[in-house]
Amino acid sequence: MDLENNKAQMRKGILEYCILSVLSRNSCYASDIIKELKEAEVIVVEGTLYPLLTRQKNAGLLSYRWEESQQGPPRKYYELTAEGRKYLSDLDKSWMELVESVNLIRTR
Amino acid sequence: MKITVSINLGGYSFNIDEDAYTELKRYLKNLELHFAGEDSSSEILSDIETRMAELFRTKLTNYKQVINIEDAHQVIAVLGTPEDISDNERPTARDKFSSPGYHRMYRDIDHRVVGGVCAGMAAYWDIELWIVRLIFFILAMMGVGILIYLILYIVLPEAKTTAEKIEMKGNPVNIHNIKDSVKKEFDTVRKNMKL
Repeated sequence: MDLENNKAQMRKGILEYCILSVLSRNSCYASDIIKELKEAEVIVVEGTLYPLLTRQKNAGLLSYRWEESQQGPPRKYYELTAEGRKYLSDLDKSWMELVESVNLIRTR
Repeated sequence: MKITVSINLGGYSFNIDEDAYTELKRYLKNLELHFAGEDSSSEILSDIETRMAELFRTKLTNYKQVINIEDAHQVIAVLGTPEDISDNERPTARDKFSSPGYHRMYRDIDHRVVGGVCAGMAAYWDIELWIVRLIFFILAMMGVGILIYLILYIVLPEAKTTAEKIEMKGNPVNIHNIKDSVKKEFDTVRKNMKL
């Protein structure tokens, strides 16, 4: 068994969920999302985030707008769409179910 | 003294050492190949370039105005190579065949006697150098070896950068390999200095 691989698989499963959760609080610039994901240690290399954001955007879960920045060129701010919120609440539900199932087995 | 290149990355302009520029160009090319099957691949790349620019900005001060090769390696390590990135997402068909460009034949000028053609071939196929030299010697006796050697000498580029030396042996270019290689080179230089 490969522990590192196992951990990576777990992270992979929840990464998209985490991105949507970060965005559910307020709209974010990609680097802010990275900061949160890194603090929570769910992402290893930053490059992983960008294809996921673009896929979620293409799937209609996210949208973005350009915002002027004092520090440089305009920045892309991502936010959840109505469809994204619905999707996230489904994920929330299944996440809680998973946690409950695992706890049930672990504490038996 | 070094030549620098001026680039526009994510809307910022940077002065960057030539070797770091080559390295970045190769890195971005590999990412481009990695995401080629994806819808909106150009959008993903431009997002990554924007982030790269941000990371480079943190490396510059009034006293340090040029991006060097270490900066490039550090930023590439933070953003991740295509292999690091694909650990975290569904594998694309391309990963199976690995990116072209990871294994190329070069002339290995570190181990050359004439032009490094034999050494380059030995490194590429991972066979003993003397065997390749012997084959060329026999071919030369038969009268065609020198011509073949000359053509290969012209066609094959020299492995100049660390990344190219790694590619020559067919290992993926990532920060660990580069570190190993640089360390090996450093050790050799140190040994030579002592002698």
